[in-house]
Amino acid sequence: MLNWTLRELLLAPQQLVASVAAVAGAFLLVLFFEGVFAGESVQIVALIDKTDADVWVMQKGVGNMHMTTSFVSDWKVDAVAEVEGVAKATPILYMNTTIEAGGRNWFSYVVGVEANDPRVGPWQMAAGAAHPSPGGAVVPEIFASDAGLKLGDTVRIGGRDFRVDGFSRDTFSMANSISFVSFGDLADLMNSLGAVSYILVDAKPGVDPQALADRIKAQVENVNALPRAVFVAHDYSIAVQMGLNIIWIMTLIGGALAVLLTGFVVYSHVTERERELAVMKALGVHNRSIYAAMCAQALIIGGLAFILSLALMAAAMPLTAVLAPKISLAITADAVMRVGATALAVSLVAAVIPVRRIVSVDPVTAFQQ
Amino acid sequence: MLTLALRNLLHRPGRTLLIVLAIAAILAEILVLEGFMTGTYQQLRRAVLSRGSDVVLAQKGVHNFVATRSILRQQVRTEVEALAGVVATHPLAVLSLVYVRGERRMPIIVFVYDDTGGPRRLAVGQLPQSDGAIAIDQSIAQRFGLAPGDTFTLSAYDFTVSGVTKGEAAIMTPFAFITFDTLIDFYFNSDVGSDIAAFPLLSFLFVDAAPGLAPATLAARIEAAVPDVSARLPADLARNDENLGRELFAPILNVLLGLSYTAGALAIGLFMFAAVRARQRVLGVLRALGFTTRHLIGAILGEALMLTAMAIPLGVLIAAGLGRLIERLDPVYLLPITEPEALFRTAGVAVIMAVAGALVPLRALMRLDPATAFRG
Repeated sequence: MLNWTLRELLLAPQQLVASVAAVAGAFLLVLFFEGVFAGESVQIVALIDKTDADVWVMQKGVGNMHMTTSFVSDWKVDAVAEVEGVAKATPILYMNTTIEAGGRNWFSYVVGVEANDPRVGPWQMAAGAAHPSPGGAVVPEIFASDAGLKLGDTVRIGGRDFRVDGFSRDTFSMANSISFVSFGDLADLMNSLGAVSYILVDAKPGVDPQALADRIKAQVENVNALPRAVFVAHDYSIAVQMGLNIIWIMTLIGGALAVLLTGFVVYSHVTERERELAVMKALGVHNRSIYAAMCAQALIIGGLAFILSLALMAAAMPLTAVLAPKISLAITADAVMRVGATALAVSLVAAVIPVRRIVSVDPVTAFQQ
Repeated sequence: MLTLALRNLLHRPGRTLLIVLAIAAILAEILVLEGFMTGTYQQLRRAVLSRGSDVVLAQKGVHNFVATRSILRQQVRTEVEALAGVVATHPLAVLSLVYVRGERRMPIIVFVYDDTGGPRRLAVGQLPQSDGAIAIDQSIAQRFGLAPGDTFTLSAYDFTVSGVTKGEAAIMTPFAFITFDTLIDFYFNSDVGSDIAAFPLLSFLFVDAAPGLAPATLAARIEAAVPDVSARLPADLARNDENLGRELFAPILNVLLGLSYTAGALAIGLFMFAAVRARQRVLGVLRALGFTTRHLIGAILGEALMLTAMAIPLGVLIAAGLGRLIERLDPVYLLPITEPEALFRTAGVAVIMAVAGALVPLRALMRLDPATAFRG
């Protein structure tokens, strides 16, 4: 029966290609949707991840950076620096706002960094200075292409004019674009003189980040301190939880669509070959064997479609980076496994669709004209 | 040819049903995406429009209500109230916090209001009038199993849930509401107390205009008198927030919609290709009877359009069901599926998909040999 299945599929290669492409389209939709959420989740933690401080210190009760506010009195920077095991404590300010230029508006997190301290800043530059001088800003390079900005042009951040000192790369995403201005400028903008948002702590060699974080919490009043990995995990989990339900529904729709498409192909094969099936039945082939053949056919289509969707997704990632740089895409093992499991389930469910047709085939029809 | 197309559809109802269901699933998926986009923009608009008042004051240069930070001087309220044409002012402070319970985290925007700017609709319970009371959106209540009377701990401060609001969320973030008395209590008793200087006490000021005074005139008057504020009409802020939402979401949603349209055209193409293959002999007979390729293309096109026409209402029904399901599972989402603009757009795209799909078996139709009709 397996030979028959393969032969039947290969007899109509165009139809096989069309079936696989259509089902792959359904899987690709699910993968792309998951990829967008995964890509955004990665970008949400980009600043923490790329800054690479051992411990992050923030206001007590705060455990995130994304979509939250943290304020710590500035005297605590010195208090943290004095804790045993701390090599360096670097304060930053952080706020979310809109940036305007050339009639466009972007949502952005703005980080205020000490002008003479390169500890924090963009990790990849497209043009200009990596560290903003007073009155200047380093903004994602996508702003340049969106609004035709050049170095030295003006952007409005929180209602105040800033000169573009540099364009950074890998700092733009839908939910978490990052711009950099000088610490003093942002303090003015936020009316937050005497406060910092986060303190980045570099540990002395050999000091365990978790132990250092615990020590800071114990010795400096009303602060929270988290090792970088834990801080990253907190923000990543927010992004994942925000998209969980919508991803589940999109997987459901994409899966249902794939079931219907695969089911249609298998059903079409059965209806087109009723005479052959009748001959088989007349020759003593059991319904069970025919079901197995249908399952094999569905599994081949589902499997090929899954592989094609993965290949298309792999091709889509670099293409998207070039053609639609605002979209951050990432593919996770979880997403691949989920879509793979969906493909398997889809194939098996789809094979059930033509069952009634198979059962109703009368072996006698093999001998009728 | 339409009669032929109709007969073909009725000849194998099982196959027709499968195709209609598949096209409906594609349309449902497109409508859910459209609904997600429309709902996101509606939520962004509502965030400020639901707060009431004629004019909204923000920090100078701030032109949005959601997703931005605004801090006003406390004295601004007195200065504005002294102006002619101002009937009343209503302060509003906005805090971004993250609610944590176990391993689960949810960002929340807390609105601190006085007498205006509170929640529009309560699902259960009451407004947060007593000290320490908080009204939370049903998306928070549902995700964490909270009800009026329960304790809601934010930044180590124990609020008491007074009520659960409906439809108070934007950009996947629910809102919560407290009064200024509770805010002061929160600042002094929670972990943020020692760093209170940096926290906002006044983010926006809502202004009621005197009867007969145009809000735009009042806004201009306020900006002239108080130079460090931006005075905007709620509708302007709502439009700015919506535009910001479009800037954020449109690139991604447009790609997803483009992928859906392609998948839809591919699926319809598959169906039509299979239809031509299955009916090669019938089509050969038609060619032998003198029907031209154009006639046959017309029949296939007619069939594709009929299938799509049957799938559209079903797709809308499925999408409406899914929209309700998503909103019920997670009320932070708003998915208005039956917005006429999105419906017409999707129906139009469905027709284009049908036409594109019907062209897939074009080559097979053109190569169709009338002799097929006479082969065994």
